[in-house]
Amino acid sequence: MTSSQFQLSAAEAEQPPVVTAMGDIDLANVNEFSDVLTRAAADSDAITVDLSDVTYCDSAAVRALFAVAATTKLGLIVPATGTIMTLLTISGLDRVATVTTRD
Amino acid sequence: MHRILERMQSDLLDAVGLAITVHDKRHDEHPSVLADLGAGADFVDAQLAGIGGPVPDALAYQVPVLSLDLWTDDRWPELTLAAMRDRAPQHESSWEQVHGAVAVPGVWADDATVVVCCTLSQPAGAATVASLINYEQLVSAALITTAAENATAIADIITVLQSRGAIEQAKGALMGLVRCDAEHAWKMLRRGSQEFNVKLRELAVALVEHISGAPAEQPDTGAPITPDERTREAARLMWAALSETPLPQ
Repeated sequence: MTSSQFQLSAAEAEQPPVVTAMGDIDLANVNEFSDVLTRAAADSDAITVDLSDVTYCDSAAVRALFAVAATTKLGLIVPATGTIMTLLTISGLDRVATVTTRD
Repeated sequence: MHRILERMQSDLLDAVGLAITVHDKRHDEHPSVLADLGAGADFVDAQLAGIGGPVPDALAYQVPVLSLDLWTDDRWPELTLAAMRDRAPQHESSWEQVHGAVAVPGVWADDATVVVCCTLSQPAGAATVASLINYEQLVSAALITTAAENATAIADIITVLQSRGAIEQAKGALMGLVRCDAEHAWKMLRRGSQEFNVKLRELAVALVEHISGAPAEQPDTGAPITPDERTREAARLMWAALSETPLPQ
């Protein structure tokens, strides 16, 4: 996978930086995902992660998101239904992050 | 393991209870608590007994599980303060303190998983999860090392945890019969299980039932242990052989 799978757009006006992820997030690329999250959180006290176009994500991604939420205010954009929403509910990540659903 | 838990306790200032639960599916075992601090073991046993909670969910889905307020969490409607008071009234003051909880799973061998969990007097946060993820890695590393050094050690530990009651009863009976200490009785049980090629916990149950003619103590969680005919025969032979051995004077 190329690095374009995780894109970081800088903070604009009042909006926090946004990390847009695409495709599958698994053990193979979770470090890369983690790095982008850390970079985004480095000079902002809030970040948004857009998972709308993520086709698959597992425990590894949930861990990375918890880790970044430990130091930063985390906003998530996710599809309203499907495995990602289920993962957020099971793990309780939806209770420490602000979740916005997209149909 | 206890040392790791003590470090966790000094790290997580709001911790009320801590526990490490292992599940080794290779031996067809049910999950059991390997080590705990505070009211950790009772907390985990209750969840595994069917009430549900962060630990069984972490095991089942292999994701970290966080709860802000455990007793009112809508994911586990049966896990309430009242239910825990009923099950383990001796820890009532602990249950009253508990608000948040976190459970973090890990895999330390094929089909062998571990869950590190804590209950907190404050709502849990993502930082608690991040901290437990670090400790889970430490625990998994310790389990891998132990397993590498002695493949049977962990299976043995789990066996004892699973069926402490029956094994203690069987050890007690052997100690009385052969006039030996607990360690010697444990070795006899292990040797018997190896020689007859039967599961240690089933042999313990069969021994107790053979001697007493009454059902042995069964584990609190998981399926009851019912020894097959071969194991019962092994227990009869073992008891008969030991009964004939003259007592050391």
